[in-house]
Amino acid sequence: MSEAALLRAEGLHRSFQMGRGALTVLRECSLSVAAGEFVAIMGKSGCGKSTLLHVLGALDVPQRGQVWFERTPTFSTAQPRPQRSQFDDSFSGVERRMVELRRRAFGFVFQFYHLLPELNVLENVLLARMVGCSLFAWPGARAAANRDTHEILDRVGLAGRLSHRPAELSGGERQRVAIARALVHRPRVLFADEPTGNLDAETGSSILALLRGLHRDGQTIVMVTHDSGVAACADRVCELRDGAIASARV
Amino acid sequence: MYRLFLTLRYLRKRQIAFFAIAAIMLCTAMVLIVMSVMGGFLDTVKQRARGLLGDIIVDNKRFGGFPLYDEFIAEISKWPEIAKATPIIYTFGLLRFPSTGATHPVSVVGVRLDEVRNVSAFGAGLYYDRMYPGTTTLADQQQPLLGRSAASGIDLPEPYRSAGAAAHRAGVQDDDATPNIVNRLLHERGHPGIPGFYAANETPDGIGPPALAGVPSPGIIIGRDIVARRQPDGRYTRWYPRGEEVALTIVPTSLSGSIDTPKKLAFRYADDSRTGIFEIDSKHSYVDFENLQGLLLWDAAERADGSGRSPGRCSQIQIKIKPGVDADALCTRLTAAYRELPNRIGVALTTTEWGLVQDIEAVTWEQSQVHVIGPVENERNLVTMLFGIISIVAIVLVMCILYMIALQKTRDIGIVKSIGGSSVGVASIFLCYGAAVGVVGGAMGAGFGYIFVRHINDFQTILTDAFGWRVWDRSVYSFDDIPSTVRPEDLARIFLVAILASTFGAVAAAWRAGTMHPVEALRHE
Repeated sequence: MSEAALLRAEGLHRSFQMGRGALTVLRECSLSVAAGEFVAIMGKSGCGKSTLLHVLGALDVPQRGQVWFERTPTFSTAQPRPQRSQFDDSFSGVERRMVELRRRAFGFVFQFYHLLPELNVLENVLLARMVGCSLFAWPGARAAANRDTHEILDRVGLAGRLSHRPAELSGGERQRVAIARALVHRPRVLFADEPTGNLDAETGSSILALLRGLHRDGQTIVMVTHDSGVAACADRVCELRDGAIASARV
Repeated sequence: MYRLFLTLRYLRKRQIAFFAIAAIMLCTAMVLIVMSVMGGFLDTVKQRARGLLGDIIVDNKRFGGFPLYDEFIAEISKWPEIAKATPIIYTFGLLRFPSTGATHPVSVVGVRLDEVRNVSAFGAGLYYDRMYPGTTTLADQQQPLLGRSAASGIDLPEPYRSAGAAAHRAGVQDDDATPNIVNRLLHERGHPGIPGFYAANETPDGIGPPALAGVPSPGIIIGRDIVARRQPDGRYTRWYPRGEEVALTIVPTSLSGSIDTPKKLAFRYADDSRTGIFEIDSKHSYVDFENLQGLLLWDAAERADGSGRSPGRCSQIQIKIKPGVDADALCTRLTAAYRELPNRIGVALTTTEWGLVQDIEAVTWEQSQVHVIGPVENERNLVTMLFGIISIVAIVLVMCILYMIALQKTRDIGIVKSIGGSSVGVASIFLCYGAAVGVVGGAMGAGFGYIFVRHINDFQTILTDAFGWRVWDRSVYSFDDIPSTVRPEDLARIFLVAILASTFGAVAAAWRAGTMHPVEALRHE
C-alpha cells in the first residue's frame, strides 16, 4: 500500500445477519486510493461493492479491519462496532469521527439520487452546507454557502432550475443535483454508487462526462459500477470478487 | 441549522401534521375552557360565599350560642387590626305567608343590619335597598301600598316614593326583576317604573291614594329564592308584595340546647337578599338581632337558681379586619382572648356558660366555608384531571402521526445521515417537529380557548336564539352567566404542557430516526 494514499482500507471484513445464517460480503478486503485518483470498483450484483463503498465512505463500520483517511482511522477500533444501532455511537465517539468525515471530507452520489422531495434544487444542495453549520453560525456562513451552491449548480448545468422540486426534474437532472449536493462542501473524496445505473445511455454519458471533468480538476473519485463501459472512465479499475479485491488494472 | 430548516419544512409540507396540530389545538382549548369555567365557578362561589361573611368568624359550633359577645366586641374594637365586628344569631324556623298559605322551613339569622353592612357585603345583595335606598329596615314598619297619584297615575307613599325617585335619578337600573303589569303600564305612559312588587291600596271606591297600611311589625329580609322565582333569563318574578305580613315560628333553646315552647311572631317582608348561592338564598331569612335574641330567650336574664344574671348570647361574631393583617395569626389571638375574657373582665359564669366560652374558636371565612368551597375545588381539580387524561389521546395521536412520518421519511433519514447528519441530530429533527406541532397547536388552542371563554355567554345566547337550547339554565344555577376566569398562569401552564406532551409524542419517532442505520435507511423501499 502506498504511503501517499489518501484513503486506505485494510483487512475489511463485513457480514450481514440473514435469518439464522450470516452472509459475508467483505473478506480481508484491502484497497488504497491516492489523492486525485479516479478508482472504479467493479463486480457482480451482490458481491459487496456498495458495502465496500459505504465502509470506505464512513457510512458503515466493518466487523474487522480499518480504514484510514489521511492516515487517520475513520472509526475507533477501541470501541465496540455497532451493526444496527448508531444512536449511542454519538455519545461513545465512534460515530463522531464518521459524521465529521461525511460532513467535511466525503460526498456521496447514489444510483437513485436520494434527494429530499420537499426541498427544491437549491435547498437540496444547500442542505449539505447547513448540516455542518450550527444555528448561530449559519447567519455568518449563509452568504458563502449560497454562493458556493449557485456556483456548483451552475457547473452541473442546473442554474435555471433552482426552484424546481425533484419530482419536476428528469433522471439526469436529479443526478446532477445529487452530484452538486455531494460537491458543495468541497469534499476530498467523492463516492459514487452506480451513478448512471438508473439513467439512459445518453444521460449516463453526460453524467460520466461531468465526473471526468471533476476528476480532471483534481477531484478524488471512488465509483462503484457493474458496467465495464462506465468503469473505463476511471484511472484504475478494481474488481471485487469473493469479498476481496481480486484484480486491479489501470 | 438543518434541524430547524427540516422541522419547519416538514411542518409546512406534511399535511398529515395538520391533524396532529388540530389534536393538540383542540385538547389545549378543551383543557383551557374547562379550567377557566371551573375556575370561574370556584371564584364566583368564593366571592358569593364571602359576601355573607366577615373576614373572621368567631363561633363555638354549639346550639346554645355563647355569652359575653358585646364585651368581647368592645374589647377587640380597640385592636388596631379590627375594623368592625358584629354579633349574629342562627336558628331554625318556619316562615308562613298568610296571604298565600305557603309555609317554608328557614334558617333564621339575627343581624344588626347597620353593623352587618359594614362587616360583610350583605347589604349589596338587598334588592329593595338598592332600588329604594334607606327604606330597608328590620325595625317596626307598615306595608307600603301603591295608590293613585296626580303625577304619574300610580305611585308609592313616602318615604318609598322619594327614595325610588332618587335612585332612578342616580341611574340605578332594575336589571333584577321581570317587569310586571304596573311597570309596563307606567312605561307605556312614559313614566319610570316602580321596581319590585307592591300591593295596591284597594278601597270600596276603587284604588285609593298611596298609603302605609297595617299594624307596625318588625321587618324581615327573606332569601330571594323564597319570595321570587328565577326566570331562565336570570331575572326574578316576585310573588309576594313588599311589606306584606309573614309569620315566623321559632323554637327557643336553653343554654344546654334543650327545646322550649315554640314562639310565633308577625313580621313584615322588608326586603329580599341574594348572595348568589341557591342553598343560602332559598333557606335563609334575616331578622333583627335583639328581636331574635328575645324570641329565643337568649337575652340577658336573671338565672332561675337566683345565682345572678345570665349574660345574653349570640351564635357567632363576624369580624372585618383591616387590609394587610395576617388573618391566621389574628384568629389564634382572638381565640385565646375570648377564652380568657371571663377571667379578664371578672364575670362569674356558670359551668355551662364557661364551657360555651371555652369552645369558641376564631376561623377565617375561607375555613368556615370549606364545606361550600371544598367540593367545588375538588370538582374543578377532578374535571381538569379527567380532561387532562382525555388529552392523552392527543399525545397518542401525535405519536402515531409522527411515527408514521418517520416511517415515510426513512430514506430521508438515510440521506441526511449520508451528508453528515448525526444520529442525535436526526433524532432531534423529530423532537423539534413534535415541539413545533406543540407550539403551533398549543398557541392556536390557547387562542381559540381564550376567545371561546371570553365569549362563552355570547355563544350561549346564539345557541339559545337559534335553537332554543340553553346550556346554562339561569333558573337552575344561581349565577346569571357562565362564570369563567382565564388565569395567565393557567394559560402558560397549559401551553407549556401542550408543547411537552407533543414533544413526548415525538420520542418514538425520534428514537427510530436516531437509531436507524444510514445504509439500511438508504436502502429502505
